[in-house]
Amino acid sequence: MKVYDKLKHSIRYWLLRTLPTCQQTVEKISQSMERSLTLRERINLKLHLWICAWCQWYMEHLHIIRETTRAKADEPPEFISGAGLSDEARERIRRRLTNQN
Amino acid sequence: MNVPQGQFPDESPDPGRWLDDHGDYLFKYAVFRLRDNTAAEDAVQETFLAALKAYKEFQGRASERTWLVGILKHKIVDHFRRAGREAPLGEESDEGPEHREFFERPEPWQGHWNNDYAPNEWHATPAELIERSDFWKVFNDCLSPLPQRTASAFTLREVDGLKSEEICEILSIKVNNLWVMLHRARLHLRNCLELNWFRREQ
Repeated sequence: MKVYDKLKHSIRYWLLRTLPTCQQTVEKISQSMERSLTLRERINLKLHLWICAWCQWYMEHLHIIRETTRAKADEPPEFISGAGLSDEARERIRRRLTNQN
Repeated sequence: MNVPQGQFPDESPDPGRWLDDHGDYLFKYAVFRLRDNTAAEDAVQETFLAALKAYKEFQGRASERTWLVGILKHKIVDHFRRAGREAPLGEESDEGPEHREFFERPEPWQGHWNNDYAPNEWHATPAELIERSDFWKVFNDCLSPLPQRTASAFTLREVDGLKSEEICEILSIKVNNLWVMLHRARLHLRNCLELNWFRREQ
């Protein structure tokens, strides 16, 4: 068992030193949401994710964000604290519309 | 003919009521995407003016608000087109912060996640996040330090689901620039959401 763990550790270490870094990987993760990656890019990404929980979470979070924003796209963005049109803008638009009518 | 309740096809348009019923909603919709109050007010005004002209074609076919939002979307895109032509993307910093510090580590691990910035497990599903009423507020606050164009590109992509090519055409940018902008926005936003939200709750 000990030999196995040691071997696993060595493989992980070797992969981390050989594969693109986390900084390069997060950029690929983002691009994977925009285009199909090449075979080489896909293999590197898969291997990196296999040994790196941080990048795994990173990718998961980007997809959580996308799924949430798309689902809420038509929800009234009520966040802008009480702010609809200002009174001044509302009056200006009202005058403009009345002239037009 | 199907006429939605309360709407009559030959009713004359009432822009004053449109303003009262939908003005605030349209403004918030626009300001969220344009990130500029004056531009959002203009877009709302142009929407109502265009709606007056196009009223005959509307005739109660969709809900009034859906119809107005449809017009507003075009006005928002028009604004981006104008802005893109007037101020082409210049310096690289226009695309947003690189956040190199996220990956500062002593050798031999330079370029890998720095512990202080590395992602944590969120213990949250999209279904839970969708339920949260403050999601847009946190999202919006997190985007506000980014350059306006980067924040807008990100919103068009992730909220409205426009395709890369469409966004490039609207913003007059190359696809490589767009990818850099989206990547930087994601890097920044993910970290900001985690700091302000997920870590706070633990």
